[in-house]
Amino acid sequence: MNIIEIEKLNHRFADGAMGLKDINLSIPEGSFVVIAGMNGSGKTTLLRHLNGLLLPTSGTVYVSGMSVSENPARSRQMVGMVFQDADSQIVCETVFEDVAFGPENLRLDRGEVEQRVMQALRTVGLVDHRDKSPYLLSGGEKRRLAIAGVLAMEPKVLVFDEPFSSLDYPGIQQVLKQVVSLHESGRTIIVAAHDLEDIIAYADRLVIMKDGRVVRDGLPAQLLGELEAFGVREPSASQLGVKHPSWLN
Amino acid sequence: MAELNVLGFRTGDSLLHRLDVRFKLMFFVLISLSSLRADVFSLLLLTIMLTAALMHVGLSVKSTLKDLRYIFLLLLFVFVARSLSVPGSPVIEIKMITVTREGLHQGAVVCWRLLIVILTGVAFVLTTRPSEIKAAVQWMLKPFPGIPEKKIAFMMSLTARFVPIIFDQAKETLAAQKARGIENRKNPIYRLKMLGIPLMRRTFERADSISLAMTARCYSENRTDPRLSCRTRDWIALAGVVCLCLIIVF
Repeated sequence: MNIIEIEKLNHRFADGAMGLKDINLSIPEGSFVVIAGMNGSGKTTLLRHLNGLLLPTSGTVYVSGMSVSENPARSRQMVGMVFQDADSQIVCETVFEDVAFGPENLRLDRGEVEQRVMQALRTVGLVDHRDKSPYLLSGGEKRRLAIAGVLAMEPKVLVFDEPFSSLDYPGIQQVLKQVVSLHESGRTIIVAAHDLEDIIAYADRLVIMKDGRVVRDGLPAQLLGELEAFGVREPSASQLGVKHPSWLN
Repeated sequence: MAELNVLGFRTGDSLLHRLDVRFKLMFFVLISLSSLRADVFSLLLLTIMLTAALMHVGLSVKSTLKDLRYIFLLLLFVFVARSLSVPGSPVIEIKMITVTREGLHQGAVVCWRLLIVILTGVAFVLTTRPSEIKAAVQWMLKPFPGIPEKKIAFMMSLTARFVPIIFDQAKETLAAQKARGIENRKNPIYRLKMLGIPLMRRTFERADSISLAMTARCYSENRTDPRLSCRTRDWIALAGVVCLCLIIVF
């Protein structure tokens, strides 16, 4: 079953520039999709249509069969988004409060909020930091906190916008481990990235975008060789013709 | 970065940690108001009690003094202003400037009172989770019609969360400008403009991102209400604080 269906999606920005052009995409439940493209190719604009942060100029986005434009609040609950800048996503003064922010917005009762927060913190391994200020966390921990904040809303789809940008190697490993284990737990994962070195080994589908259009869509192994034609660096393992190494070892 | 957070909430299990936030807020107001009427003996009593309370929650005198160093500068300014402006018997006279005995006394007392208010605030902030403060503000504003108490409480918490980040951004912008020789420009207005404009732009951009991230997490004013509960110990503590304030005032 397709959890996300995008039909003839077009988006025009306020200044008249086209952000997305005629996008058609179906994403089955439980898949791991990487959307690649150079800066300005439309990746973030596309992701923001999945939870109604942006609405289409024309076309339709469906999440679990429901139009996002008709019910953006529900789509936000179903599609959790982890932003590129974790500092802007973290809005409260302690780790616990920040994770509780989403469930509180859903007006869950206090007991349910606390249970979800603790579950999310356990999943990302931040229980010991529950009373810490998010401001004092490392880059990787902040990104994990942003993931926990989304997980506490129990979404079916998790969308990551450049999840590894400005992270060091341990930070990338921490976040990657979370992303992979969330996929293994059955969630649909969509990752937008311009560097595929660390993530491509785990993806089962690669979508390449350029100038607001989907220009390639298929199995990663079949498309990696074409990446550089669209301004995306081909991963080293693919260039050398060897198996993609795991960043988690 | 950490220096801005030393006087934030610290986890603990002290009596102050366990008191209801609404009572603590009331204690803060009562002690602050009564300190305005306090004489030297009462101020000494309050200082001893507050120092004991701060040490009880695990704060060292040295770190408190270090973190309050800028506030001491402000107090020094108040002290000097009082010393010079209150008429009385002169202690030092240099041309037009006269420091009076009454001025020195009043300056010292005013600064001491301000210090009591600050230390009470420190004790409150150290032992109260930000979410509890937010909940107390929301609870107190609730009876007033026309005031969006949830929005105001959340805006307060958001401000507290982002002030350190704006300071960091300012430091970063300043460092980047120093690296390009801004110190060679002596005009302070030019330097202020070169710091202020990019800082404001970044701050507004960040505000946009925050608003988007909040929308993505279904933010609305209609949220789960905070849980507040008071116990016998809160009422006993209230009785104690009221007695203390009466002793100070009368």
